[in-house]
Amino acid sequence: MSAREEILERLRRKASNVEMPGAWQSQRNFPDLAERFTASLTAVRGEVRRAENLEAALVEVGTILEEVSAKTVVANNESPLSDVALAERWPECAWHIVGQSSGDLREFCAGADVGLSGVEAALAETGSLVVHSGVGKSRLATLLPPVHIALVPVSCLAPDIFTWTASRNQEAPMPSNLNLISGPSKSADIEFTLTLGVHGPKRLVAVLYE
Amino acid sequence: MTATLSEFRQRAKTAIEDVRLQGALDGGTGKLWEMRRLTFEELPNSDALRDHFKAIRSATLRNLVEHLETFEKNATAAGANVHWARDGTDAREIVISIAQEHGVKLVTKSKSMATEEIHLNEALAEVGVEAIETDLGEYIVQLAEETPSHIIAPAIHKTRHEAAELLGRESGRSLSPDDLTTLTGEARKLLRKRFLTAGMGISGGNMIVAETGSVVLVTNEGNARMVTSVPPVHIAVVGIEKIIPTWDAAAIWLSLLARSASGQPLSIYTSVITGPSRAGDPDGTGEVHIVLLDNGRSELVGTKYEEVLQCIRCGACLNVCPVYREAGGHSYDSPYPGPIGAVVTPLLLGRENYEALPHASSLCGACKEVCPVRIDLPRMLLELRADQVAERTIPWKERKAEEAGAFVFKHEKLMRFMTNAARLAQRPFSRDGKLHLPQRLNPALERQLPALAKRSFREMWKSGELEEK
Amino acid sequence: MEEVELKMTQSKRVALCVTCLVDQVVPEIGVATVQLLRRAGYEVEFPEAQTCCGQPFFNSGFREQATDLAKRTVEIFEPFEAVVLPSGSCAAMIRVEYPHLLEEWPEWQHRAEELAAKTYELSEFLVNYADWIPRGDFEEIRLTYHDSCHMCRLLGLRDEPRQLLERVGGRISEMSESDRCCGFGGLFSVRMPEVSNAMTAEKLHQACDAGVEALVTSDPGCLTQMRGLTEGSSIKVEHIATVLEEVTR
Ligand code: SF4
Repeated sequence: MSAREEILERLRRKASNVEMPGAWQSQRNFPDLAERFTASLTAVRGEVRRAENLEAALVEVGTILEEVSAKTVVANNESPLSDVALAERWPECAWHIVGQSSGDLREFCAGADVGLSGVEAALAETGSLVVHSGVGKSRLATLLPPVHIALVPVSCLAPDIFTWTASRNQEAPMPSNLNLISGPSKSADIEFTLTLGVHGPKRLVAVLYE
Repeated sequence: MTATLSEFRQRAKTAIEDVRLQGALDGGTGKLWEMRRLTFEELPNSDALRDHFKAIRSATLRNLVEHLETFEKNATAAGANVHWARDGTDAREIVISIAQEHGVKLVTKSKSMATEEIHLNEALAEVGVEAIETDLGEYIVQLAEETPSHIIAPAIHKTRHEAAELLGRESGRSLSPDDLTTLTGEARKLLRKRFLTAGMGISGGNMIVAETGSVVLVTNEGNARMVTSVPPVHIAVVGIEKIIPTWDAAAIWLSLLARSASGQPLSIYTSVITGPSRAGDPDGTGEVHIVLLDNGRSELVGTKYEEVLQCIRCGACLNVCPVYREAGGHSYDSPYPGPIGAVVTPLLLGRENYEALPHASSLCGACKEVCPVRIDLPRMLLELRADQVAERTIPWKERKAEEAGAFVFKHEKLMRFMTNAARLAQRPFSRDGKLHLPQRLNPALERQLPALAKRSFREMWKSGELEEK
Repeated sequence: MEEVELKMTQSKRVALCVTCLVDQVVPEIGVATVQLLRRAGYEVEFPEAQTCCGQPFFNSGFREQATDLAKRTVEIFEPFEAVVLPSGSCAAMIRVEYPHLLEEWPEWQHRAEELAAKTYELSEFLVNYADWIPRGDFEEIRLTYHDSCHMCRLLGLRDEPRQLLERVGGRISEMSESDRCCGFGGLFSVRMPEVSNAMTAEKLHQACDAGVEALVTSDPGCLTQMRGLTEGSSIKVEHIATVLEEVTR
């Protein structure tokens, strides 16, 4: 008998049907999602910048690029970034637009100062960003550079993880890679002292716009 | 790996005498515990959430076969290769053959208890494959050629001085223990190189989700993202009990796991891997393998120990365990230390090898109280002890003593006789209610055992002196 | 926590289950318990056939021996309307463990459940059932209270002993972890003495940090364990019964 059959057979003999409890209903009722999101992400040393609209958000992005003296930036080719002429707007930076620029993406990400992305959703309770892999969406762009800037429209805020899974489109396939990012990379493995940027980005900035 | 009573005692003694380790254990576990308390306070209705989750875990295990089949179907549809391993040998063979097929020489690993359980790194080394742990704590422990001593804080026993020395040796630079940012930066650099050159990534799986065939990995550092995104091949080794039917249920798991483990509302990175990269994905892994590891788990289903399979490996029970907090993780000599380890280690890795572990508890119940799944660990420790008695695997001297003791207590007259005889015998040693035995005769070592009172309560009662006036 | 429906006792008579440890090692706790119950207006009976509730054997895995002693204890105490124990862990043994232990014998299990429903730990009995409110001018006593594991986690009794102590002038200065195990755990304390003693030392350390002279507990097991390591220390370990008895004399 194969290992598979052996294991499954043993389990089959002992299986019984017990009713599975239903989904847990979110108990959260935040008066202001953006406020909770900001508080939560800030509490774990993430940063949040608020902006009136997309244009103002891009101005914020510019400020951050300047702050970190970014020379090389990798950007996902996704909403809302795909509609922005990034390289024209910030010609002083070298850009790699995922799926458009030529050159090795991985190598570029490994050397980039900043990764710029959009999000699929964001969770207010925990200050989390949801990012997917897919066409124009690199996994490494939000992982390898020391700074990750995400453009987050207020409209995509869900109260918590329960409301988010409940609203999941069951028909749409899962992307091959989905990440919930809830702060900058951190470790407390040496004497329980917090340090940032162990493997992932040291800085995570969410630019939250209306 | 073994833990006989004398081995456990010896290792615990060493740990207890290590003042620095004691400070680290107290400080570390205390901090995690306090942070856990705060996040649970902030979570509305957390008690009901825990009950709800327990019901889900319990119902899932009752029909594990169906959920595993659903998982296999969906993971395969997403392009992943699902393998089944009866035991460590099966699992090691599967991993090694994939590595050899791809000519892999270097593997980066993200913290995984299951691979510790089957000693995968050693097996890989034997066939010339180097496996590098990438969780900072595990990396330090690996550099020191030691094993982790806590489920979620593997290097809880190491100081920053030791970390600085180990990392310094590896990078060929002298590093200051007081500059943690530079230390971590050095580890980042060292490991970054490894990530970019590794031929394969190996991870565990915090859970697998049946409805989408996904593997879920949780880290704070981001190393699981690295391991599963940078190398061309990814293998996840996951225990079959780590399955959850739906995403709605997985959300509870994630929420309770992070809160219980480290007092975070969610871990920094929750990575969900559903098959290899798709057409059009700009990067990612070309191949995903999932090794479903049984190694004794299916045997436990349907027994009085089934509940232990509900564990989500959060480590909260370690942090509140007064035995773990004195004895430290290495006393257990198992990838699973603390209260959960005391139960699951004998069950999965052989009762004969770990006879001391069911006794490494005062049955205080703090673990059950803190466990997000409310696993009744004290009850299972009692069951393991009862099994030892039933299987006659305890020393015969102890058995005789217990049997004799019970016989005496069954006969009140005999009890009176025996205790009076003991009163005479203890005379030379008895002072202020304590037995002042010479150290080598004292089973309690430096603690004085209580002496029998000059007169028992029943004697006073019988004499009438306690009558109401 | 196991929910047991506790029956209120109508008559003013209770049986004392003194526990083997109190009987043989610290009888003054038994004497104090008798006095307290009388002061609360009860007539106390002491069934002399009683020995040990079986807990040590149960905890070591000797089920058969524990079962015999459990049945014996059920037989001895079932004729009474209420049973009081000056020990949280023995009370938990009868209340929580007996019904499980005797599961295989439905008849015995039923009897065990009946007994469980009228079994009380001393401070619980005095506060919740006897409604005992001692009167007098009490001097302030500065103390800290150790929650014994089974009493607080299996019986859920945390407030009752504190209420009583406060009623007689106790000013409680809490330890950082009042419910951290004292290291006893029955045979554990001699099977793994290094760990057990380290746990006890930690407990005493916390008590000293609380800045009090007296460490009070409701469990004779914890009491003897902690006393075993107090040589040369200024802290005194006392049982709640003897403390209450002395100040309400
Ligand atoms: S037994 Fe409970 S507390 Fe311990 S690791 Fe498992 S889930 Fe966490």
